[in-house]
Amino acid sequence: MAEKPLSRFTQPISVPGRRLMHHVPLKFVRKKVLGGGHRAANHEVPLIPFIDFLLCIVCFLLASFSASGELPIDKNVKLPNAENVIDMTDAPMVAITGTQILVDGNAAGSTRAIEESNRMQRIDELFNVLKNKRELWKQLNPSKEFPGVVILQVDRKVQALTVKSVFQTAAFAGYPNVSFMVGRLGKSGE
Amino acid sequence: MAGIDVGGHGGKRTTNHDIPLIPFIDFLLCLVAFLLVTAVWSQMARLNADARVPGPPKDEPPEEIKKEKQLHVEMKGETSFKLEWKEGNTVVNTIDVAKKQVPVGEKGDYRYPELAKKISEEWTANGSHRAASDTKMDQAVLHTDNSTPFSDVIAVIDAIYTPKRDFTGKKTEKIPAFNVTFAVN
Repeated sequence: MAEKPLSRFTQPISVPGRRLMHHVPLKFVRKKVLGGGHRAANHEVPLIPFIDFLLCIVCFLLASFSASGELPIDKNVKLPNAENVIDMTDAPMVAITGTQILVDGNAAGSTRAIEESNRMQRIDELFNVLKNKRELWKQLNPSKEFPGVVILQVDRKVQALTVKSVFQTAAFAGYPNVSFMVGRLGKSGE
Repeated sequence: MAGIDVGGHGGKRTTNHDIPLIPFIDFLLCLVAFLLVTAVWSQMARLNADARVPGPPKDEPPEEIKKEKQLHVEMKGETSFKLEWKEGNTVVNTIDVAKKQVPVGEKGDYRYPELAKKISEEWTANGSHRAASDTKMDQAVLHTDNSTPFSDVIAVIDAIYTPKRDFTGKKTEKIPAFNVTFAVN
């Protein structure tokens, strides 16, 4: 018995080929959007790769996001670089710029007296500013233990005598954990 | 708009939903813009040091301080560093290391790799605090000239921080084997 031709029935699987834009009634528009032998003028924006790309950027930026904000660095201070460093922390910043000493951007003494006497000594103005900061912190956080961390932002050309005097003054003022701010140097030296 | 087709129609609520892609992209773009504006690209870090001063007075009697070996790094010499292991005032061992600067980068920085190597070897041989659960670190005392530039001091502190050990606190991490302080004499 001969088989009936398939064309008599509704085909469940249709013949592949172009379907989109075939029913545009205006012929010249249909020709234009289908390409008409040329490159099609109607382009789809590839949304999914675009969203993937945006998600990657968001993930990267979120991973590198820092809520502590930018660190204030004096333009006149050229910091040395080091390899074996740890991440920055939130602490009072003591900057030594030329002969001036700044605590969080406010003047807190001078290094002139140390340079003139050429011996290590306590810097009274710096001592008072740091001591006040410590007492204020203790009033604001009565139940917490004072961390005693201070960060020194020192120019690479400053003499060790000045650094040691500031270091000692900070320790006397109740900040025994002194950190030196440096640039991060890669293991390869770059 | 993108759509998710999850099958046939049951006659009730439609199961064919559109994800509103355009507001989603707008949200992502806003997020990207915000994160880019607030991004901090700073490469700043810190080197820790310890002033070794007594803390505020406490009611409890102070613990008896055991004399431990300390590594004294003398950088006053013109041509060499002097490493001394001391127990109190007693010198246990003395080593001389050539002062050989190796420039790194283009900003005039330099390192002392030979000093770093020797300090690592010394800590491996004589270091007291090695256990991962040990909260204390070996102490290094830095002796500098008054006129030494700060960049030189940092290069030596960086060399002292080269040997690392495991530390198990909240999580296991690598910490410097030494803690640095300055000699004040």
